[in-house]
Amino acid sequence: MKILVCIKQVPDPEMPVRVDEQGRVVRPEGDLKYWMNRADEFAVEEAILIKEAGFGTTVDGLTVGPEHAAQVLERAMGMGADNGVHILLQEEDFLSPLNTASYIAAYALNKGYDLILTGVMGEDHMQGQVGAMLAELLGFPCATSVIFERIRDERGAVYVEREIEGGLRAALELDLPAVLTVQTGINKPRYPTLSNLLRAKKQKALVVESHILGAAKDREKVVRACYPGKSRAGLMLEGCGKDKAVRLLEILEKEALLFCGQQRE
Amino acid sequence: MASLEPSVSINDKTFNIMKQAIVIIAECRSGNPSPVTYELMTLAEKIRQAHPMSVKAVVLGDEVEKASQEIAEATGASVLGIQNPHLKYYSGELYKDLLHQCLPGMNPAFVLVSQTTQGMDFAPGLAVRLGASSITGVNGVSWDGNNLCFSRDAYNGKIVLEILPLMEATVLTVQPGAFKAMKPETTATPEPVEIRLSTAESRNTRSLGIIRCEQKDASLAEADVLVAAGRGIGSRENVALIEQLATLFPRSAVAGSRPVCDSGWLEYKKQVGLTGATVSPGLYVACGISGAMAHRVGMQGSGFIVAISTDPNAAIFNIADVCICEDLTTFIPLFIEECKRKKKGPV
Ligand SMILES: Cc1cc2nc3c(=O)[nH]c(=O)nc-3n(C[C@H](O)[C@H](O)[C@H](O)COP(=O)(O)OP(=O)(O)OC[C@H]3O[C@@H](n4cnc5c(N)ncnc54)[C@H](O)[C@@H]3O)c2cc1C
Ligand SMILES: Nc1ncnc2c1ncn2[C@@H]1O[C@H](COP(=O)(O)O)[C@@H](O)[C@H]1O
Repeated sequence: MKILVCIKQVPDPEMPVRVDEQGRVVRPEGDLKYWMNRADEFAVEEAILIKEAGFGTTVDGLTVGPEHAAQVLERAMGMGADNGVHILLQEEDFLSPLNTASYIAAYALNKGYDLILTGVMGEDHMQGQVGAMLAELLGFPCATSVIFERIRDERGAVYVEREIEGGLRAALELDLPAVLTVQTGINKPRYPTLSNLLRAKKQKALVVESHILGAAKDREKVVRACYPGKSRAGLMLEGCGKDKAVRLLEILEKEALLFCGQQRE
Repeated sequence: MASLEPSVSINDKTFNIMKQAIVIIAECRSGNPSPVTYELMTLAEKIRQAHPMSVKAVVLGDEVEKASQEIAEATGASVLGIQNPHLKYYSGELYKDLLHQCLPGMNPAFVLVSQTTQGMDFAPGLAVRLGASSITGVNGVSWDGNNLCFSRDAYNGKIVLEILPLMEATVLTVQPGAFKAMKPETTATPEPVEIRLSTAESRNTRSLGIIRCEQKDASLAEADVLVAAGRGIGSRENVALIEQLATLFPRSAVAGSRPVCDSGWLEYKKQVGLTGATVSPGLYVACGISGAMAHRVGMQGSGFIVAISTDPNAAIFNIADVCICEDLTTFIPLFIEECKRKKKGPV
């Protein structure tokens, strides 16, 4: 079996992100930390689990991004992926989901992948589109929000359970090749091992310049960014930690929300 | 059809008012339209204020008459029901096929889908097939006289992006709860409902039914106070701190965000949000939770919200009554200490 896992590199969500006067998203100067989109860790783990289950599986990790995105491929290989593919972008610019999906589809076309895994959503732009678009571009069946899967090799199919609302799952079977977008919690992603990381450093990812694959035309444009409005008072407590604790206690007592006298033990 | 190049070029967006329509894809549960369907109507109404167009609805399912009739009567929109025996369970493949057949004939400028696990499954692929713009997670719309832009959250809700669609048609998935469901319009005379029968089958996917797996946790619904742990608690050990905080309140329970449950720090049935429980306790204390939309939809109806986060720009602060920008591992012990001191002290 040939598996492709799509991995996005995202800025560390703990890093400050601001909007400037022109309504553009800006990051403060200095060290921007990046890491693997967390949903994609689950996708990589799921691919490795399939590989460990047999089927003569190879796992390729693929990312579309600038130079520094190569780091997530190293991590994927550190976790046990066999190869890395880096579709190299020249600029840091925001890429639309269709653009990303088109690059991946152009690369994956006719490469004989049986299964393509993506994360359910990118943490930065929260679009949740690339996997479903990729499936459409390749003409593969697709299931999103997958929380369980089993390969049914003898039938050339995969059984999946999609997480839907209300604590329910929808069960379905998809013929291979197929695209699955993997929901967080499907497994427990492993840490990269040292030996795998050393191999990754030596092996190097295959680099494909994005312009060779040809970009799709943009179908939407981000015109401006702004801060969200407030729906409640949002009283920001001031002072040191202790001051805030005292103030919070006062407020909760006033709102009759805390009953210290009736405290449970 | 699969194609790597978008087939339609960027358009100047001159809408043909007479011909074009806003098409709503209804979502139904056991044959009844879900509330989100009427929220889509509200957005359609807002779009119509900028671009007057007719509103149409499409209902897909194995039994569509009742829902189609209900939507027609409630909204006055013209409704097309597509009845297919293979749609007892939702099928993304069949949805895309059937919608791709009927939509072009309806000249949609906007196709509105709800941002549920179902809508998210078929909308992006449908947009590709239609050569349309695709915007997910829409929670607002603005019109400056020239451009109709749609807003959506990014960066865990810290920033809102306004997005301009560039194609002739746009598929939007709309955040549930972002638009208030339209009050059923009783005066409108409903247009006759059209029902089309289809027997098309999906080629590469087979729906096998619905599985119920998580038991609901009654303690979440019954609690007056919920103390909720987010990824910001940092480790399994700190769950104890959240539990300690909860014991200060009578009729309280501990809840969590998705990552906390994913890591096994709390059981899944403690999860609050889109794919967890929807709660509305008197007091919700969010500890180390950023306030992503998928969490907010589950708890924003709480009576009083206190949020503790180290990030001064965390989105949770926008929906909180009281905001505490502190490290929870130091703040919570301080607060517990303060409660104990006060309890001992003179009344
Ligand atoms: C289809 C789908 C369904 C989903 N369903 C749900 C759902 O039902 N429920 C849900 O919760 N999520 C759900 N999510 C995930 C959701 O999008 C967010 O990723 C998630 O809610 C983030 O959880 P969090 O706030 O705990 O973590 P984060 O976003 O990582 O936030 C952690 C917060 O803690 C702060 N922090 C860090 N350290 C400290 C400290 N020491 N003291 C105080 N604060 C600290 C950080 O600054 C940050 O604000 C879903 C996602 C998808 C795609
Ligand atoms: N630049 C990228 N490179 C590789 N995979 C990506 C990229 N962007 C998105 N993906 C994949 O698509 C999923 C959904 O992303 P999105 O549609 O951006 O929310 C991610 O979890 C990744 O698996």
